[in-house]
Amino acid sequence: MMLARVADSLYWIGRYVERAEHMCRLSDVMLNATLDQGEAASQAVRIALAAVGEDPAESQRTPYEAAFALAVDREDTNSITSSLARARENARQVRDHITTETWERLNLIYLRVTDPRAAARFADGSSVFLQDIIADLHQFKGAADATMSHGEGWSFLQLGVYLERAQLIGRLLESGFGESHGRPVTEHVAMTGLLRMSCALEPYLRRYTADLQPRLIREFLMFDEDFPRSLRFATTQIESHLVGISRYAEHTGNAGPQRMAGRLKARLQYADIETLQLEGANALINMVLEECSAIHAAIYETFVAYSLEMRLPA
Amino acid sequence: MDVLTAQGLPYDEMQARPGEVRGHYLALQRRLDTLDAGDLAERQRTLERFFLLQGITFTVYGAESSTERIIPTDLLPRIIPAEEWATVEDGLTQRLRALNMFLADIYGPQKILADGIVPRELVLCAPSYRREMQNLYVPHQSYANVCGSDLIRQPDGAFAVLEDNLRVPSGVSYMLANRDASKRTFPGTFRSAGVRTVERYPDLLLATLKSMAADWRSDPQVVVLTPGVYNSAYYEHAYLARLMGVPLVEGRDLVVHDNMVYMRTTTGLRRIDVIYRRVDDDFIDPLTFRRDSSLGVAGLFNAYRAGTVVICNAPGTGVADDKAVYTYVPEIIKYYLGEDAILPNIETYLCREPAQLQHVLANLDKLVVKAVGASGGYGMLIGPHASASERAEFAAALKADPENYIAQPTIQLSTAPCLIDGQIDHRHVDLRPFILSGDKIVVTPGALTRVALRKGSLVVNSSQGGGSKDTWVLSSPHRDQDVQP
Repeated sequence: MMLARVADSLYWIGRYVERAEHMCRLSDVMLNATLDQGEAASQAVRIALAAVGEDPAESQRTPYEAAFALAVDREDTNSITSSLARARENARQVRDHITTETWERLNLIYLRVTDPRAAARFADGSSVFLQDIIADLHQFKGAADATMSHGEGWSFLQLGVYLERAQLIGRLLESGFGESHGRPVTEHVAMTGLLRMSCALEPYLRRYTADLQPRLIREFLMFDEDFPRSLRFATTQIESHLVGISRYAEHTGNAGPQRMAGRLKARLQYADIETLQLEGANALINMVLEECSAIHAAIYETFVAYSLEMRLPA
Repeated sequence: MDVLTAQGLPYDEMQARPGEVRGHYLALQRRLDTLDAGDLAERQRTLERFFLLQGITFTVYGAESSTERIIPTDLLPRIIPAEEWATVEDGLTQRLRALNMFLADIYGPQKILADGIVPRELVLCAPSYRREMQNLYVPHQSYANVCGSDLIRQPDGAFAVLEDNLRVPSGVSYMLANRDASKRTFPGTFRSAGVRTVERYPDLLLATLKSMAADWRSDPQVVVLTPGVYNSAYYEHAYLARLMGVPLVEGRDLVVHDNMVYMRTTTGLRRIDVIYRRVDDDFIDPLTFRRDSSLGVAGLFNAYRAGTVVICNAPGTGVADDKAVYTYVPEIIKYYLGEDAILPNIETYLCREPAQLQHVLANLDKLVVKAVGASGGYGMLIGPHASASERAEFAAALKADPENYIAQPTIQLSTAPCLIDGQIDHRHVDLRPFILSGDKIVVTPGALTRVALRKGSLVVNSSQGGGSKDTWVLSSPHRDQDVQP
């Protein structure tokens, strides 16, 4: 049993920290790619820009300007700094529900990115700056895992993390292989870039060796059972945390999100991977993105903004 | 009388006269002698980092914007010996007992008004008097469950009460955080000094709150009601909720249905029994008090009247810490308890009395004038520090609305050593102990010592550039202490 508002805030902390971490990786890989010349590098830049919702054809900004804005621009609601500020603002509102260790990690990251010298530090060495934030976020997640009770609040936090992750990886796959974003990725450098953006390069190499193929990359990021950023892994987590939350509920009204998550998990678990072609994969990714939005809305309807008439004592 | 006061200097906590350290400060002095300026600065930085990391911040409301800041915290503890504390403890207990009896009386039979001890119109016309509270049952007659009184030292060193805070007193989280910090800063000195513990405050508070619903629930659901994350004391609200292990709720989390109060949880509505509210009277229920309030809960006061929920502190307690009623507290203690006040008041002029108003107007350059309803260091004039035009402005206000003002002599407040820009210097301090009152009265053996960080300043409020420091109440070998009350 916890306050609906608190559950909502924990959920959003999860979403915002996941988003910040992902955007750090995108920026870092993109800036790295601009150091190289040629078609492969521009493919990597294009994927990253598309994944953050910027149309590479229309954009007036250089990749560096885009990455700079993505990192430290507080006006930009998608920026890493904005996400971290929102995560921390939510954490402040539920300060009594997260442990001091967890709070301190997040507060520390916030203080670092909002420091007046942050922009200068980014300019000085963007990679160090971004990698530091990623490392700090890992510490935050580690502290939360090690010190918070893994009960209802934890499940809402994790739901936020995995829903956000499924959507981010889905969008990244879309911009890498989707039809609306020009030619699919083929170049070697672009493919490693895509894997780096999803923190998947090393696990991929262990699974498939250095034989980089678009089909295998899709297969890995969509269907791998053990890789924590695959769509299948994320949807499995979403379903399991929703099942966990329903243990605390006395009524059956929350079957909605749980059922949707179970169905989504099953579709990824039992997909016909061997015969799946590019078009089929894209349709599946699209379905995952739509289902995630629907689950997000259903969670809100069921646990946070439910109508009082249904729940008043007789 | 010692040299310092003979010269008109304020009482100093550490030194009886220049160069002569009081006995209870000797251990700290010896420790300080072994530290150079660099060591002290290093410790100060560690302390500030600790506060920043924890997010122990408050919000300063400026003309245009408000900012989140760490409360300036001083490294050096203020030390109070056991025998002095015994007087403070007895005095505060006596005072709160009498004030709760006073509240029960004026919201009940009003005998004290009928007997002419306190002027009727002074109470009934006070803006903090809540007619809605009349004849309402309050368990244990504990109206003010949490009280934070402001004490100062008079020139002879005796403590006196400057102000009672019976509405929503704050600062207790700083008392606890300062204690955490000073244990890290001076562990050896702390251990050998025999400092009494303040860490029981959260569980004593919870026990106090639970005792208010003991009539109908053996394990009542307690919540802390906060105005929200933008309130200047939000950190404290969250801190207390976390340490008590109870939900921190906002008005929008609560629903009143059939005169019962519920909170919205992920699994539906849950009944609430006790609300430790950190929202002012005016804002708790738009149906009963201010209609434009969005911080409160519609229907909350009716549920309270129906006796299904307890609001702590009770609405309307402000009438007993009104600055005009304050002047009558010694008589109030005498009336209900038949005792003389253990802790004296500061001499106060009521501007509503024409003769006293004349005296105040003639001595504006020597007095501190305060608006009766204001708090937090706002709306006051410190005569000796004010410009002629500021005094003229206040004189006009006084003549226009004398009932709204009181005046007190400018009191020097005692001074205590503080670390200022790397050097030890003396600054004015006051003392805010916290007293709990449910089925019994408990004085926490510790306090928030507030510091006026600007040299010579007498204003200790955090909104006006004040800071704070830890307060060590020493245990006495003769008294049984720190047993479960």
